[in-house]
Amino acid sequence: MTDFAVWLEGSAVGVWTRESSSIWAYPTVLTLHTVGLGVLVGANAVIDFRLLGFAPRLPIPSLAPLYRFMWAGFAVNTVTGIMLFASNATTKAKQPVFYIKLTLIVLALIVTAVIRRTVERDPALRIADLSSRPGRRLAALSLLLWAGAVTAGRLMAYL
Amino acid sequence: MDGFVAWLESTRLSRGIVHYRWIWPICEIIHFIGLTLVIGIAGFFDLRLMGFMKRVPVSAARDLMPLAIAGFLLNLTTGATFFIGAPHQYVNNVAWWAKVFFLVLAGLNALFFETAVGARTMSLGAGDDTPRSAKIVGAVSLVSWLGVLYWGRMLPFIGNAF
Repeated sequence: MTDFAVWLEGSAVGVWTRESSSIWAYPTVLTLHTVGLGVLVGANAVIDFRLLGFAPRLPIPSLAPLYRFMWAGFAVNTVTGIMLFASNATTKAKQPVFYIKLTLIVLALIVTAVIRRTVERDPALRIADLSSRPGRRLAALSLLLWAGAVTAGRLMAYL
Repeated sequence: MDGFVAWLESTRLSRGIVHYRWIWPICEIIHFIGLTLVIGIAGFFDLRLMGFMKRVPVSAARDLMPLAIAGFLLNLTTGATFFIGAPHQYVNNVAWWAKVFFLVLAGLNALFFETAVGARTMSLGAGDDTPRSAKIVGAVSLVSWLGVLYWGRMLPFIGNAF
């Protein structure tokens, strides 16, 4: 891992993101990472809160286009995340909170996929009157995991 | 302004915010959680006003707005904490004023929606297109909130914070 981190930090992407004085380098990459976070976690929150019983008049199947926004946000954050990691790889690779963040993201993605499956398999959604327990639990778990990923990401600047 | 900054920084509240080192990171975490609520929930409603996701009834999308307001209040509180803790970082920071500009724009736009446009959109159901006025309000809102986020993120880079 250390060799890989050293290589990545010295790679063209790592050097550019870290050392370019251009506003398009580190500042813009970081900003895009924040926008992607807002879109990905925000779109998730719309569905999760609906499943938790907020806005009961909102038909759950009508929310399906939000998954496209989530994918877009996730794609942006994968690319910008790799660039941000590359800019300071040797330090970040040693941060436990970085691995906690990655773990939380993987778990959150799994829960998000399970929610999507459940919703799509039962579009009449008895889940729609969704006092249904499993739906609520999944939604609460999804919110917790995504909030945890955001928290871990923020803590990377401090720990 | 310098006098105000000096006074604010001399208050016990301001000193306490800087003194307890865990306050700042915790407020930042909350600030980011609030950000996702504003961008996600308000952005969802804005997109529907702009005519996207037409299967969503407009008034039903609006039922989620209290969550966006909750996110905004989290960010207003934590943002005020940052400002009180280190006002000098902000008052002479062009990025901060740009952020405030977009906040005011978002607020006025929301007020305009509430008073002039909103009532006409609430009867719109699934499949209905929105009037042009609603599309403009939705677009202005989305651009404003992204502007708030952009200039907030730029505080240390274009301005001089941190």
